[in-house]
Amino acid sequence: MDAIVKTSKLNNDEIFGLMKQFITEVIGEEFVEEMDITPQSSFTKDLEMDSIEIVSFSEKIKAHFGEQIDFTGWLSAMDLDQLINLNLEMIINYIQECQSSK
Amino acid sequence: MPVIKVNNRDVHIQELNKGAAETVLLVHGMFSNLSVYYFNIAPVLAEHFHVVMYDLKSHGMSERVLDGYDLDSMTDDLYALMDVLNLDKVHLAGYSFGGLIALKMAMRFPQKLRKLVIIEAPDPSDARTRGIIEEYSREFLEHYVANFTDTTKVKMGKRQMERNHRMYEYLFYQTSIKQDMIRESGFFKETEINAVKKDTLLLYGASSNCLQAGKQLNKMIHRSDLIPLEGDHNIPIQEPVMIAEIVSSFFKN
Repeated sequence: MDAIVKTSKLNNDEIFGLMKQFITEVIGEEFVEEMDITPQSSFTKDLEMDSIEIVSFSEKIKAHFGEQIDFTGWLSAMDLDQLINLNLEMIINYIQECQSSK
Repeated sequence: MPVIKVNNRDVHIQELNKGAAETVLLVHGMFSNLSVYYFNIAPVLAEHFHVVMYDLKSHGMSERVLDGYDLDSMTDDLYALMDVLNLDKVHLAGYSFGGLIALKMAMRFPQKLRKLVIIEAPDPSDARTRGIIEEYSREFLEHYVANFTDTTKVKMGKRQMERNHRMYEYLFYQTSIKQDMIRESGFFKETEINAVKKDTLLLYGASSNCLQAGKQLNKMIHRSDLIPLEGDHNIPIQEPVMIAEIVSSFFKN
């Protein structure tokens, strides 16, 4: 089943679900329970993730999507302000773009 | 998340562009972690080099360790890491305390280094550097966050404050970091610094408290150039791309 899920294109809800799962794995369930995570949630302000946690999150995205997307490359093009304002929706859109260009 | 065993301890590393001919190894500073390089600096260097970043002991996602924070131990750790990764010779860059580790590496194991970059390494005898180490308290962290982190534009929330507080508490009250750092206060007087023959680039913020330390090192290290950049001690966060490009062209030429 896993292989099929990985090669098929995910819709927005599925990507959002996956992102939430990764965030929970990185910061822990007890903190996620207190938060209302939405596509508009920003990583630094709303989710209070620090940069080493965003590194772990990026690693999970890379491990899941592999060569399909260059997540670190995409992040590295951002300046500090953009990184601070980064939210889930932007990542969902980026992953969608990569999926549709393949 | 790549975690490897070095001397039987977990060390978190990140690598980019593994196939490249030459390796750049990046060392972060005290109370920081490899993310200071991960987002902007490492990807630029990875256009030409194999880039290795690692979290120092008790920092980032590396294992907590009670002792060995003096520069001999920290460079022993780095030497062992290079062994495990089969790295024979690297370009080495370090920021802040990581810059002191990089310099110590050039003094002890010159055969392992190509070129050296030291970014904002402080003089450990400087009262302000020692002051931070000697007077840590919860109030200090709150004051520090409220007053000094604005130059990096990132405000810490409650969970982050707790996380950082736990890390500072651990490092200050349970490990030997404080005593180890006080023991290093004579580091800039060590004559071996004058014997460093590597091509060395010193990058300092023009308005940084540490600029004086950069000038001192510039006098001591024969083949060194000092470049003051606009900014303060936080230049790698304020000007990551500029730093990355300067470092990259220095290592390339």
